[in-house]
Amino acid sequence: MDFIEYLPPLLRGAGLTLVICIAAGVLGSLIGVVLGTAKASPNWIARFVASIYINFIRGVPILIILLFTYFALPLLLPALTFSRGFTAVVGLSVYAGAYMAEIVRGGIQAVPKGQSEAAEALGMHYFARLRFVIFPQAMKIAVPPGIGFLIALVKASSLVSVIGFVDLTRAGRIVTTLNQEPLLTFLIVGALYFVISYPISLLGTWYERKLA
Amino acid sequence: MTLYFGDILPYLPVMLEALWVSIYVTLISFAAGGVLGIFIYLAKASRFRSLKLISNGYIEVIRNTPLLVQLYLIYFGLGSIGINFNPLWSVLIGMTLNNSAYTAEIFRAGISAVPKGLREAGTALGMPFHQTFRYVILKPGIRNVLPALTNQFIVLFLFSSIGSVIALGELTSTLQNLNSQTLRTLEIFSVGALLYFLTSAAIAVASRITERLAFRW
Repeated sequence: MDFIEYLPPLLRGAGLTLVICIAAGVLGSLIGVVLGTAKASPNWIARFVASIYINFIRGVPILIILLFTYFALPLLLPALTFSRGFTAVVGLSVYAGAYMAEIVRGGIQAVPKGQSEAAEALGMHYFARLRFVIFPQAMKIAVPPGIGFLIALVKASSLVSVIGFVDLTRAGRIVTTLNQEPLLTFLIVGALYFVISYPISLLGTWYERKLA
Repeated sequence: MTLYFGDILPYLPVMLEALWVSIYVTLISFAAGGVLGIFIYLAKASRFRSLKLISNGYIEVIRNTPLLVQLYLIYFGLGSIGINFNPLWSVLIGMTLNNSAYTAEIFRAGISAVPKGLREAGTALGMPFHQTFRYVILKPGIRNVLPALTNQFIVLFLFSSIGSVIALGELTSTLQNLNSQTLRTLEIFSVGALLYFLTSAAIAVASRITERLAFRW
């Protein structure tokens, strides 16, 4: 079996997987910083709203989030009809946001309380305290688990294939219908996922070692 | 768009039945993967280089590839060379193997978090190794890993939804079937999401209670 001819579609799928993961990783991190800060904030309304979002999303499978975004959201509001690629990014970002928020909250709460109190004693406003005292320390703590979650995100992104977006997994499915060799094809698909995610995990190990 | 749950009310028993399939698939693969995970952890912690290398390779490969691809390999890949599993077995095997790699890492982290001084204190008190291991390393070790194991259980439960891609009759595939039958998309997926959420919340609460009861000291 000449496999070279099926490699380009798989590589294209891998590229798209990478693109949606980067987009969802960035958007999810933004959501995570906002909601994580809200959950660690002294304001109970902010804490309450953030908790509902975080706990609900973390209790629902990513597949359900994607199906809901793709099939149900347009019925709720026609303006929310997205293309498959956009749905994939929206669904994965919503998902990543909840997990990143927990990581950011953990980072913020791991900063010794004395730091915040000292800054307050110096007359710093809440947001100034966050910006100059808490965040620089909290983010250092949050980066390793955040990198760990990025790996989970890459793997979860394989589910966008279910709503028909041609990512790496979907490309693998299409290729198998052409070459009738699912074993070889999915071994290559798996290897390509490994190539994407293993460097991220090495990056995490490297960063942790640098901190220690 | 008005919400109308009346159409899907008769299907609630079907959904609950499918939810039970999700739960028992999770229970079986969590237990089987847990046992396998202990062996993989022991291999990784052993003195033998080859065992270490193999177990480490296994953990890294499983943890760096999606469960969905692993499932496709088992269901379609092995099927193409004559090793056929039905959807239920494929999902059970896939989730068990997947879970074992994560559980092995959880055990490793939990046991290595037991301070060395504790073990030394056990030896100093004249306890033979098996007693030191059982009372001094294992019990605090288990307490260390319980939250992570709960988390892993919930993650596994949520990822059992992947069974829907090969038409295992669990909750997500049932939701998709009901959706095409009733066309009450919004209602079906809302109720489905709620069922998933309530179950995982119940698991979290149950685990916290167990933790309180089992490790009061």
